[in-house]
Amino acid sequence: MDTAKLIMCAVSAAALDICALVLMITAYREKSSGRKRWRKISADMELADRDRGYPLECDEILIGRHENADIRIHDMSVSRYHAILNVADGKWTITDIGSKSGVYVNGVHVEQKRLRENDVITVGERRLIFRKRRDRH
Amino acid sequence: MSNPLAYVFSCIFVLLAHGAMLFSVFYNGSYDDVNAVIVLMAAVIGLDAVYFIILPFFKQQTYAVDFMLILILNMGLIFQSCFGGVEFRFKHFITMIAALIACRIGYFACRDHRWIEDKRKFIWIGIGILMGVILLFTGSRSMWISLGESTSVQPSEFIKPLLVLACATSVTEQQKKHKLLCFNVVYENLILFGIVAGVCLFQWWCRDLGSIPTFGAIYVSGFLLRICYPKGKYSKKPIIIAVAALAVLAVIGIIVAPPYVRDRLFVDVWNDKNGHGYQQAQALIGIADGGWFGKRPGHGFLHNVFAYNSDIVFATISEEWGLLFSVMSVFVLLMIMAIPLVNPPRSYYHGSMCAGIAAAFSVQMALNIFGSCNMIPFTGVTLPFISMGGTSMVVSGLMAGMLVAAQSPAFKAPKKKKQEQKKPQPVPSQQMQPVPPQQPQLLPPRQDVPQQPPVSYTLTDRRK
Repeated sequence: MDTAKLIMCAVSAAALDICALVLMITAYREKSSGRKRWRKISADMELADRDRGYPLECDEILIGRHENADIRIHDMSVSRYHAILNVADGKWTITDIGSKSGVYVNGVHVEQKRLRENDVITVGERRLIFRKRRDRH
Repeated sequence: MSNPLAYVFSCIFVLLAHGAMLFSVFYNGSYDDVNAVIVLMAAVIGLDAVYFIILPFFKQQTYAVDFMLILILNMGLIFQSCFGGVEFRFKHFITMIAALIACRIGYFACRDHRWIEDKRKFIWIGIGILMGVILLFTGSRSMWISLGESTSVQPSEFIKPLLVLACATSVTEQQKKHKLLCFNVVYENLILFGIVAGVCLFQWWCRDLGSIPTFGAIYVSGFLLRICYPKGKYSKKPIIIAVAALAVLAVIGIIVAPPYVRDRLFVDVWNDKNGHGYQQAQALIGIADGGWFGKRPGHGFLHNVFAYNSDIVFATISEEWGLLFSVMSVFVLLMIMAIPLVNPPRSYYHGSMCAGIAAAFSVQMALNIFGSCNMIPFTGVTLPFISMGGTSMVVSGLMAGMLVAAQSPAFKAPKKKKQEQKKPQPVPSQQMQPVPPQQPQLLPPRQDVPQQPPVSYTLTDRRK
């Protein structure tokens, strides 16, 4: 193959490489805009303990004592898989998934309940506040 | 569109990549009539332009998968149109458009995971219907249904996306356990095992053995994700048992495999290069001949070998375009699969769905590429988005649409609940009875706990 044809092949391969690189960078940059969109979907809420908040970053958040629970609570009064949080249309719902001590929202025992801002959720002997996210990372 | 500038830049670079490839075809390609190159250029650039104009109307959250999809599809069209001389492959172009339409269907069907989860029984029924079609129409030694002189359909391909959806699961579904004898089981897992076993038996029956690893990979990824979350770290036994069972099944499969399969398993392609090892021997020679930059588009020899544009397409690309281009094609495919790692899905259902799709694509790619390179026995599985084949192309497009759906999900409340909230049942005033006020079950009195250990948060771990 003569030099000109070889250069042509190399140029087209380089164009393809650069395009793949640009698409990779675009995909990576969309990660941050994806976070913003999620805040809109999830109404930018968090579950707060006494001293810190836990942002709700995806659908189906498990609350429990088990090591693999998304929000892990080190308390024997809390079941290993205690409750689950779901989001739909920007509204969060808490569901008891067969816990022993039950789930209470504002002091009332519930099986499933749509959460409102500043609701106090009690799992076992721990209280968590459902509120607007304060510390954004 | 979150960032219009990024969208425009992505469009420009995709057009540049295709333009450079087309210019290479014009400059280096083998053709008698320049009109063939012009038609190819018009088709590729035209499809790019139309796609980029239409895409924003779908109002997705991200477009990364779509850009990669159009990049690889048009690369495939250019490759296919150059094999053995430049000639626009109209049939491949039509299947590409069908794949893009299938991608949109996959996107709309799967973007709301609660909706598609509710349709789970229909997915099972769909798999059953396809198995029935295989049983009735393909026959025991074929995998195709002929629809005319040059058109045929492979029904087993359509089982792949359905199986991915059947294997995908949500955390809530995993909690629905039932007592069976002395075991806590999720009925769905048992149903799924039955479906996969049935599909694999059907594939065996119609001698489409190359697809069995793909179905197996989809099921294994789904099975592992079903047992790994939320109990992953403490459930090693089922994984070990599953791996052992797979190994035993593989050994049994080799023992009872038909003679032609065993021949392929143990064939020495160089000693039998005019017999069973012909395709692989020629493919290896083609890859070596092509080198880094290839013998130039249309100047190869492999287009004379059977299944040059489907089963050994990796070798044909390597020969004509060079190893650099064939590796880049694989890289773009890997990028499509890796997008969920860059921008993780926001629900477990979409996550497990993406894992199933990645497993299917990975196994298909591995079987095609390693088969062409004589690293594993030749299976005749297609390379997604590049190989010639309408059914494979449409199904791959559908699965790409499912990946798009996981990137741009919708979290909507179930419709029934909405209706109930909007339209409460009217109660006639005459029938209204005074209801005694219900005492809510209040929180039991708290015991004073002197020291409470902190709440730890592992949400980001799951999303990784």
